[in-house]
Order: sequence, then structure tokens, then C-alpha cells
Amino acid sequence: MSAKPSLLMFVAAAVLIVPAAIRAQATPPAQNRKPVTTLTSPVTGNAVAGKTLYYDHACYSCHGFNGETGARPFVPNWPANLATERSFIAFLRGRANVAPVQPSTAMPNYPAESLSDAQARDVYAYIRSFKSAPPSIEKIPVMNQILAAAKKPYKQ
Amino acid sequence: MSRSTKLVVNRRGFLKGAASAAAGAAAIATQVPETDAQTQPAGPERSDASAPPPSAAQLERDAGAARPPTGGSPRAAVRPGSDLMVQVLRDLGIEYVAANPGSSFEGIQESIINYGNPPNLMPEFITALHEESAVTMAHGYGKATGKPMCALLHGTIGIQHAAMSIYQAYYDKTPALLIAGRDLGFIAAHSANDMAGMVRSYTKWDATPKTLEESLGAIQRAYNEAITPPCGPTMVVIDIELQKEEAGTMKVPAHQPPQISGVDPGQAREIAKSLLDAQNPRIAVGRLRTPSGVRLAVQLAELVGASTSTSATQGPMSFPQRHPLCGPGANTSYDYILGLEQPGTVSLTGPSLTTLLARDTTNIGFGGIAPGVSRAGGAGRGGGPAGRTVTIDAEASLPAIIDEVRRQMSPDRQRLVHERGAKHATANQAARIEALTRALEQRRAGWDASPISTARIYAELWPLIVEEDWILASPSNFSGGHNSQLWDHNKPYSYLGGQGAGGMGYGAPAAVGAALAARSRKQIVINVQTDGDLNYAPGVLWTAQHHQLPMLTVMHNNRAWHQELMFVEYMCGVRGRGTERGHIGTTLRDPFIDYRMMAASYGMAGEGPITDPLKLGPALKRGLASVKNGLPYMIDVITQPR
Repeated sequence: MSAKPSLLMFVAAAVLIVPAAIRAQATPPAQNRKPVTTLTSPVTGNAVAGKTLYYDHACYSCHGFNGETGARPFVPNWPANLATERSFIAFLRGRANVAPVQPSTAMPNYPAESLSDAQARDVYAYIRSFKSAPPSIEKIPVMNQILAAAKKPYKQ
Repeated sequence: MSRSTKLVVNRRGFLKGAASAAAGAAAIATQVPETDAQTQPAGPERSDASAPPPSAAQLERDAGAARPPTGGSPRAAVRPGSDLMVQVLRDLGIEYVAANPGSSFEGIQESIINYGNPPNLMPEFITALHEESAVTMAHGYGKATGKPMCALLHGTIGIQHAAMSIYQAYYDKTPALLIAGRDLGFIAAHSANDMAGMVRSYTKWDATPKTLEESLGAIQRAYNEAITPPCGPTMVVIDIELQKEEAGTMKVPAHQPPQISGVDPGQAREIAKSLLDAQNPRIAVGRLRTPSGVRLAVQLAELVGASTSTSATQGPMSFPQRHPLCGPGANTSYDYILGLEQPGTVSLTGPSLTTLLARDTTNIGFGGIAPGVSRAGGAGRGGGPAGRTVTIDAEASLPAIIDEVRRQMSPDRQRLVHERGAKHATANQAARIEALTRALEQRRAGWDASPISTARIYAELWPLIVEEDWILASPSNFSGGHNSQLWDHNKPYSYLGGQGAGGMGYGAPAAVGAALAARSRKQIVINVQTDGDLNYAPGVLWTAQHHQLPMLTVMHNNRAWHQELMFVEYMCGVRGRGTERGHIGTTLRDPFIDYRMMAASYGMAGEGPITDPLKLGPALKRGLASVKNGLPYMIDVITQPR
């Protein structure tokens, strides 16, 4: 195949990109919305069942066992797509069935066939139970020691 | 030179004789009185108090004065060729020879453990449980010291066991000296006419000498080739007959070190002038060859007052991270950049932004530079990448550049250098504290979490080792890379970097190799060990214990090949078939592996599994106390995935 883009490729790209752009205008991508640190929306799922699902579907692999670590932590700065049960389920579904490339393909898709709405609510209930209150740097002795060491003069 | 075939007993004949001897020994054993058999209990229960004092003959043997019995076996040589081979290794300064035993190098092995005064020292025989481990030990040692270590490989099978490690060392441009034994008269499958051919595409040089004399020269040449940049593993295939041959009066040839070329005097003059003429020069330091190169880079930066970048957080042999000149400096508009083995300065993918903004650039080295990508005499800003690439060793170039800088230095320039250096030092320290504070703020997340965050492992370790002479031998890329922001990498060997070719099974044996270097230099090794990696070659834990190596292993035990888990989860997801089976083939569960018990089975002290973050710090202190006493220690920590 030629390395140069053909006219056909431009047309195909336009067909794909324009509707996506229109959708994007109507609903700003979730990652562009500001994260919040406290959530108060209702939770209806079962957190105990959600804990098993969080493990079985390996949510922890990217988000850590507590949502605080790993490649994509979400606690305590909750992204907008986790603001409510509804937005969470729409995020999971939207990725698979409606607009699979939005907001990105970094997270696996979760169609209803593999994670039902009820199960998704359970997962949501579990992750809403995550509490993150790490001590401040000042209250972590080793972090103080690290800072103190960095302020010492350099020794050859 | 003559090949001594008369002295060699046919292998099958030897085995037949051995079988007869064993049968005879069994018959004799039945006649030993019971009381005699009980006076010398075997194994660890044997009391030192019951051991008789060594005889004169034993003392003589301990001093390396072992000689074959007179008029004894026709296999024996009075001055075997392998003694001379070991003398060559000794003359080259080879500290260690690692091997999993194999009959094709039994002559060399016997010489290592018996020849010389004292025997089994320079080199010392290191018992490896796998050839891949032996070569990766040499890989780790080579990165920690800039010098080759030797590994012995047994025929075709040993070479193939070692192939993966050789490949990684080659990719990592790390010197290693490999000697493969060959025994053409024994098992056909274990030998071949061209054994080195199996790994030739990823060894730098190899030879199969035909005589003892050639063998001695080949070992010296292999050493020279290994340390001549671009460095890499080299191999000499040595027939067993040459090892057993009577050397007679043959002399060990004097070693001629390689002459490694640097820039020519004209280039040195030009580079020195560019550094001194620049208002804001910068030196971008990649991976140099040896600690000596690092010292020279520091010397040059201090002489010209240049801010520097370093790759010390990515691998060994680079500029000290905490040096006052290391950092962005007081002014990031650099008007001349000197790259030392720094592929980022002028690279295959084009110049970096910093380079584009610079008025002029010179890059010296082999570090990823593609010949011809730079444009000599480029115009700088707006005129495309301005750079010269000099494909020659940076370390060997530095003395001439330093001499030229000194020659061209004037009192006015000296004053400017001093002022600029002071400004850089202030700015770099402020930048460092700011970056560290930001990094600590990020790593507070999950501080009290269980399983334990990987950041907490590195954070807890740092205050405990900051005043020690340490080596972080394990790659940290799968463990969050927290050392790069929390620790200071000020020694050429502070961090040994990645696997070379990204292959698993590297971390533990490389750490053992680094610990060999550390043992003789009064250093300690930190090995933050990923669980998937350890299971390739756990036998190295025994090697560490057996040879009493100062290595603290802290398990980053996430019970998975975690990156692969994420990849498979992703694949399950994008195919819309559910993610609940992504753990199949990617996790280490059902059952979980108990690494403390694994270490214990190899005789290594340890503790864990630890899940409570409050127990981590005290465990690390205990582990370091053990390591500082010269004994390895294992702490199994159940961690967050990354």
C-alpha cells in the first residue's frame, strides 16, 4: 500500500470523525469535566458483591485495590464519569456500544452482556466505599527524612 | 604446538572405569566397622570440634599448591593448559567465574578451584543453578563495574540455556566474557563444529582456538573486544583437550589492553572552544563505559560551569544526579550542547526541542546515534537541527577535551565559569526540592493502603540507605519507577537500569551479579524484585546465600505478570467478550506463592508476606542489618499492582 493517504482515506476519516465531533459538542468528553473530591449522589448497589466483581473483572489492575494507585487512580479526585451511578454505567456502555473510541480506548469496554446494569451498580457501590485520607507529607516521618536529606549539601 | 592426545583417556573408558571403582568402593564400605562410620557424621550435623587438624598436605593444597600424584593417572598433566587459562583470567583482573557445572569445562573448573595461591580467588568460582543465571550475573556485574565477569557454558546445551541472557547483555551494551567448553569425543548432541554460531548474531566477537597458545590469546582478545565500545558479550569456545593438555614451559602472554580512540586533537580543540565561547553551555550525559568516564564528565562540567543532564535515573555510568551542576540550570536557553553518549541530543527520531533551541550541538558517542542524521555546521535556530555527530567513544574523548579546555581557559573565562556555576547550583537545588515535593505529594496516595503501595517501598527504603554505598540492581520500570524521583543516583552504579532487551528473568540474577561486585567493594545491593521475574530463575537465591552476598530482596509481589494482565484485560474489553477471564495465564494465584518460604528453602533469612504498611519499615531495617552483615535477606511484600 502507498504510504501517502488516498482521497478515499480522507473521505472515510471524515465520515468517522464528523459525527463523533458532533457528539462531542453535544456531550463534552468526560475527561474534560472537572474532577470532584466528594460525591454525594445516591448509591443503590451492593458493595460486598461489587468487591468481588472489582476483583474478578480485574478493575484493580489499573486502578489499584483501593482506587488510589496504579496506572489510573481515581480517588480522591473522582472524575466526572464517576459522579453518579448513571454516569458510571453510561461511561461503561458508551465505550462499547455507542461510541467505542470516546473518550479513549485506554479502558476496556464493558458491554451489558459481560457486566449487567445491576452488577455495574454493585461495582459503583464498592468503589464509592473507597476512602482516601493519606497523611500530609509533614505527618509521614520518612517523607520528612527524604526532604531533609535532599536539603543536605552534596557529597562527592 | 602439539595436541596431547596420548594422555587422554577415552570418555566411555573413563565412565566404565568409574563404574568399576564405585562397585569396588561399595564392597569396601560394607567392611567398615560401624563405630568408625559414626565418628565422622556427614553434613551440617558434623561438629567442628571433632574435625582433625589439617595435614601438611591439606594445608599445601589450600595454598593452591595442588599437584597431581606422581606416577598417577595418565589423564593428569603436571602443568595443565587450563592453569594457564586461569592465569590469563587472573591477569585480566577477572574477579568471578559463574557456572553451572559441565564436563566440557571440567579442566578450567578444576584449575579455578585448585590453581594458584590462594586458589579460587581472582577468579572465584560462583556456583550458578542455570546458565541463564550465570550470564545474567555477569550482565549485572558488568553494569555495576564497567568490567567483564566471566561465565562458563557447557557445550551446545549450556550456550542455548544462556542464549537469552547473552541477548540481553548484547542489547544492553554490557561487557561479559563467555567461555564455552567443547568435548567432541563425548555426547554428540552437546558439541558442534561451530558452537558460537548459535549466538553469533548477538555476541560481539567469538573464536574457537585450535591450540592452547591460541586459547590464551583468544581469551585476552575476547576481553579486549568486550570492553571496547560499543561493549558487549564475547565468547571463546575451548576444547576440553586443550584444557587438559600439558603446557610444559609455555608462557602466559602479556596482556595488551585495547587502545580505545577518542576525538582527534582538532575536534577536541573545537569542542573546548565551543564550550568556553558559549554563554550557557550544557552537557548532556548518557551512559558512559566506566566509573572513570563519569569522573571525567564531572571534571569537564565543573571546568566549564555547564549545567548537565543525566541518565543516572535510567541506568548506570552517568552524571551524579545531586551534583550542583545537574539539572536544568539557571537558564534553559542553551547555546551549545555537548552530548556524551546521549542519544536524545541527536537521534533517529530527530532532535529534541532543547536541541532545536540550541545554537549548536556536538554529540560524541555510540549511544543510539545513527550516522548521517546530523547536519554538520547547521545554522541553529530556524535552520534545522544544528549538530555534529562524532561516532567515537565519549569516555576516551574526554581527556583530550579537558586538556584543551584547560589550555584555552583564561582568567576572564574562569570568572564567568565560576559565576555561572554558582547560579546553576542555586537554581538546580531549588528545582530539585520543588520536584521532590511534588513527587512526594503524588506518592502520598495510598500511603496507608493494604496491599502496600510500591511508592511506600521506595520511600521507606531511601532514608535507610541514603548514607550507605548502595546499588539498586533491579529494574524499577514495572514497580512504578519511584526511585527516579525519590532517590539520588550519585554513583556510577547507583541504578543499573532495565533488562537490556526487556526480557523477564533478569532482575534476580542481575542483582546477584551486582552483589558479587558489591561484596568485594563493601557495598550493598537493593533488589526490588517483581514476582513474575523471580520465578524464571529462583535458584539464584541459593547462589546469593551460598556465596554470602549483601543483597536485600524486597518482593514487589502483585501476584501477577501484571502488565500482561492489563493487556489481556484490554483485549477482552475491546472485543466485548467480558473481562472476568483476563486473569487466566496472567496471574499467580491458586495458590499464591510464598516467597519467604521459597527463600527459606534456599537457606536465606527473610520475613513476610507483609500486608500491613506499618510493618514494612521495621522489616526493611532488619533486612538491611542482615545485608550489612554480609548475608542476603528476603522480605515478601504484598503490593498494589504498580
